[in-house]
Amino acid sequence: MMRRAYAANILGAVLLALLFGCSAVSKTPSVPPKHPEDLAAGRVNCLECHENVSTGALKPYGTFRHSRVFISSHGTYSRQGQSLCSSCHAPAFCQTCHAGKEELKPNVKMGDRPDRMAPHRGDYLVAHRIDGRLDPGSCFRCHGNKNDVKCKQCHK
Amino acid sequence: MGRPTTVGSPGKRLLPAIVSISLFLSLLIPGAAPAADVTFSSKTYGLFYQRELPGGEKDRYAPLYEYLSADAANLGDMPIAFHFYGWGRVDLAEESGSGRTSGEIGSLYMEYLHPQGNAQAKLGRFFLTEGVAMDIIDGAFVKATTPVGLGVSLYGGVPVEYSILSGADRADSIYGGRVFFAKSGFAELGASYLKEDGSVERLDRELYGGDLWVRVASGVELTGQASYNRTVREMASERYAVRIVPGATVDISAGYEAYEYAGLFRSALHPAFVVATADNNDKVQSIFGIVDWEFTPGWTVEVVGKNIRHDKSDPGDANRGEIGVRRSYNDKKDVAGIVAAFVAADRGENEYREYRAFASYSPEKLRLTLDAIAQQYERAPLPGSGEKNAYQVVATAGYQLLAALNLSGNLTYTESPIFDKDYAGLVRLSYDLGTVTGGKK
Repeated sequence: MMRRAYAANILGAVLLALLFGCSAVSKTPSVPPKHPEDLAAGRVNCLECHENVSTGALKPYGTFRHSRVFISSHGTYSRQGQSLCSSCHAPAFCQTCHAGKEELKPNVKMGDRPDRMAPHRGDYLVAHRIDGRLDPGSCFRCHGNKNDVKCKQCHK
Repeated sequence: MGRPTTVGSPGKRLLPAIVSISLFLSLLIPGAAPAADVTFSSKTYGLFYQRELPGGEKDRYAPLYEYLSADAANLGDMPIAFHFYGWGRVDLAEESGSGRTSGEIGSLYMEYLHPQGNAQAKLGRFFLTEGVAMDIIDGAFVKATTPVGLGVSLYGGVPVEYSILSGADRADSIYGGRVFFAKSGFAELGASYLKEDGSVERLDRELYGGDLWVRVASGVELTGQASYNRTVREMASERYAVRIVPGATVDISAGYEAYEYAGLFRSALHPAFVVATADNNDKVQSIFGIVDWEFTPGWTVEVVGKNIRHDKSDPGDANRGEIGVRRSYNDKKDVAGIVAAFVAADRGENEYREYRAFASYSPEKLRLTLDAIAQQYERAPLPGSGEKNAYQVVATAGYQLLAALNLSGNLTYTESPIFDKDYAGLVRLSYDLGTVTGGKK
């Protein structure tokens, strides 16, 4: 078992060394670490300036229009890479929700941004009993391996 | 079950080393600081609220939170970046959490971004989403794509996790990777693997995953992701969707998703997801649809529907629907909206309706917002309380003191089966500084 794991690690390292060799890396320009232009306020629509395909995500810019569809399925895209995301969003943006030991709910921190999607609005202490029963998988993504202080009061 | 204990992250042992390495690497880069593109953000939140205890006595709480983030790119004119995000709390009145102080380093890492092909490497503590992985880890990550579109990513380290379960311990290591093929503008297919070893068997996790994005026609794409938990030999989760984007103003998606409790919740550290709280033989299957249509400039309608089916009669099946209209104005700086949502379920205790209205107004340096939400439960949600309605109103006022400095405050009123005429206040001071212009980080 251990031998197989070592072999896999060595194989991975070799593959990586090959890929990082200058000739092995794609010649497509990388996404800049910071979006070069100031972005307009509100939900981003890349199509206002861009056409065609993003060099970072290798997907059409229209895919990344921050519509309700994209916001609800952003995890699908981020699991294939975050280069394009990180051009505009710092790590702190993701970890507003995807945190390890967060105590403040996103909608409390963003109380002055009612336009933003933020779960737990209202007295969610009551509503979460129903949402948690019906669709616990949606809770699990953020709460499965973290325990903020509010959970401890009941979930012991 | 005994007294809950907070099990610290194993990252606590690794973190000092990571901090040292990250700072040391920064110093190795000659003239790094002056050449860097730096953004810095500080957000201070002061909360005030009180809770009535049995017997009528009231406790007052005043936790003060500080959130800091710093990002420096192009260190020494090299494609190297440094990222930090963390927060801390101190209680100015009664103890509001576990102890009078708390805090966390969310991320702290060095990043190398290759100028071509989006090849990258990370070292430190970071939030990773890659294939089946969606974890915070103390470790390393590398990713590269070849000219033919074939690529690989690898990661390894110690997971940063927290538990309040008695007897539960941390996972000691996590590693995995993803092999993928991407054809620009047409398809990306990936196969991924994750292995997490815990100090107790229940925390072991071995996942195999697949992910897919294909543009089958202009404006039509298919997405899919699935993970199989080999530890329990069950599918963990699946999600497949078709998305139609016929132009810049319409976005439609429909799909199917499913997860099995045993596969998905296997290594959960939150007690709500483990046996005795949830029936681990249950499986959830959902069909969903979402429409986002900007039917006239500035006006958007959103419609969401989801049918949720359980294998088990408890909690039973349900339908969730939502419709909302949003209006953006003032150069998109302000948005107003109304939303109505409902949950219709097999079991009456799972049914409720929700109504929400919100608006913001930002003349010059002032910003005012109002957000009101009402929830009507079909049956009283809490045993012993006949109250079936909940209301909350959040009013905020803010002022831009300096170009980078904003002061704002929230006043929240809540009336619900839990809270009886509850007021809570929040003061927010935010400072955002950047040495370069561009997209706000």
